[in-house]
Amino acid sequence: MIMTPNRLVEILLVDDNIGDVVLTKEALKGADFTNRVSIARDGFEALDCLRKTGKFANAPTPDLILLDINMPRKNGCEVLEEIRRDERLKLIPVVILTSSEAEDDIRRAYELGANCYVTKPADLDEMVKIVQAIDFFWTTVAKLPRSR
Amino acid sequence: MQNPPGNSDRHEEELRTFFELSLDMFAIADFAGYFKRINPAWEATLGFSTEELSAVPYVEFVHPDDREKTVKEAAGLQVGRDTIAFENRYRCKDGKYRWLLWRARADFDSELIYAIARDITERKDFEKMLRNTTAELARSNDELSQFAYIASHDLQEPLRMVASFLQLIEKRYDGVLDAEGRNFIHFAVDGAKRMQTLIQDLLALSRVQTRAKPSDLTDCAAVFRDVMNDLQFAIAEVGATVTCDTLPTVMADSVQIAQILQNLLGNALKFRGTVPVRIHVSAIRKANEWEFSVTDNGIGIDPQFFERIFGIFQRLHSRTELPGTGIGLAVCKKIVERHAGRIWVESKPGNGSKFFFTIPDKKRLPDG
Repeated sequence: MIMTPNRLVEILLVDDNIGDVVLTKEALKGADFTNRVSIARDGFEALDCLRKTGKFANAPTPDLILLDINMPRKNGCEVLEEIRRDERLKLIPVVILTSSEAEDDIRRAYELGANCYVTKPADLDEMVKIVQAIDFFWTTVAKLPRSR
Repeated sequence: MQNPPGNSDRHEEELRTFFELSLDMFAIADFAGYFKRINPAWEATLGFSTEELSAVPYVEFVHPDDREKTVKEAAGLQVGRDTIAFENRYRCKDGKYRWLLWRARADFDSELIYAIARDITERKDFEKMLRNTTAELARSNDELSQFAYIASHDLQEPLRMVASFLQLIEKRYDGVLDAEGRNFIHFAVDGAKRMQTLIQDLLALSRVQTRAKPSDLTDCAAVFRDVMNDLQFAIAEVGATVTCDTLPTVMADSVQIAQILQNLLGNALKFRGTVPVRIHVSAIRKANEWEFSVTDNGIGIDPQFFERIFGIFQRLHSRTELPGTGIGLAVCKKIVERHAGRIWVESKPGNGSKFFFTIPDKKRLPDG
């Protein structure tokens, strides 16, 4: 049985590294179903985007957030903390997608309510596989509450 | 009954002799703050003559920063509080200061203070050195964990970019690249990935310290079973026979003991010869320690490399022959040394290797 989401999936990708943004988008392009990726380049932009403020007034509410940890100005953990405190945002699945393998980062991310912590692999094919698996699981396999 | 006069004189003479000979400084001071009588140890220690020391209030010789507490301590003595372990600094004739440790008691009839001081300057200097060293150590440990974080994140990212985008080029421009071009990309990707493995291995080495747990009762037989479980596929793959004697319970960090066994067994599986692999783990009781050994029938090691193999990133085979960065034994060595043990190898090329490591006896830590 092939499951497909019956609508456009909105993904918010928060990453300061343009290279990673390109790679992640590349990986998502190969996914079997349609998704639309918005980009935020640091924690401030991510929260603006989620709260539809500033230049992100027309940003869509994402179905899934892919969040890097080490970013300038406001890091991923701080963003995650604010998302989980915000009534309108707290149910959105957040997957940490980062280069960090530090035990402290992993622990902290889960403590703050990350749905999943994934370390970006060095191998491109692995990266594609992992990003597509995340996408598939959170937008198709997992049942999430309708009204958020 | 009184002693005959001769006996009393003799007694007095003995005390005077001790007074003259003592390495510690004896002093009798009055309540006004002057030394009334001091022994020669004072001159030997401070360099001032008895006359010089008695001419002015003794507090004049005390380090300005210690004067207030010295006056307070003397005041305490005069209301009946004995001095047990008071410390202050006295000035020497050469202008330097020496640390003195005091014990004193007042006599109220004569209004005199009887005091003994001991020169503890060397101990103080040593303590200061120790404090500095400890602070220095804490600082370098902090730097190490800082380094570990940087290695686990900041150094990985650029490498990932190099490897991933080269692969993207390979994929996207497959039609444009010839065999040589694809080969070049392969070399570059391989290099970046190897670099990443090296960084992760260095990190593993630094974690021996940063992730270390205090020693606890460790059932080595249970640890061995866990390691065997982790290695079951690798063991099955080469069809190895792994046996072990009764293993003891020791005081150690169990995660790290597992790591040693895992690395040594892993090496025994990897550096196998042409005959079916046999590995044996045993432990024998020595005077103050347990001596563990892992014996294999693999390719063996030339004795000239017995030291080198425990170094960081030291390898005896090219990467095309056998994979690996050469960190395993360095990690083992670091763990064993952290447990105050030793690690070494006995081997003949072609005749298998026997790796030994010791874990010293330690008293069980008190509960709580």
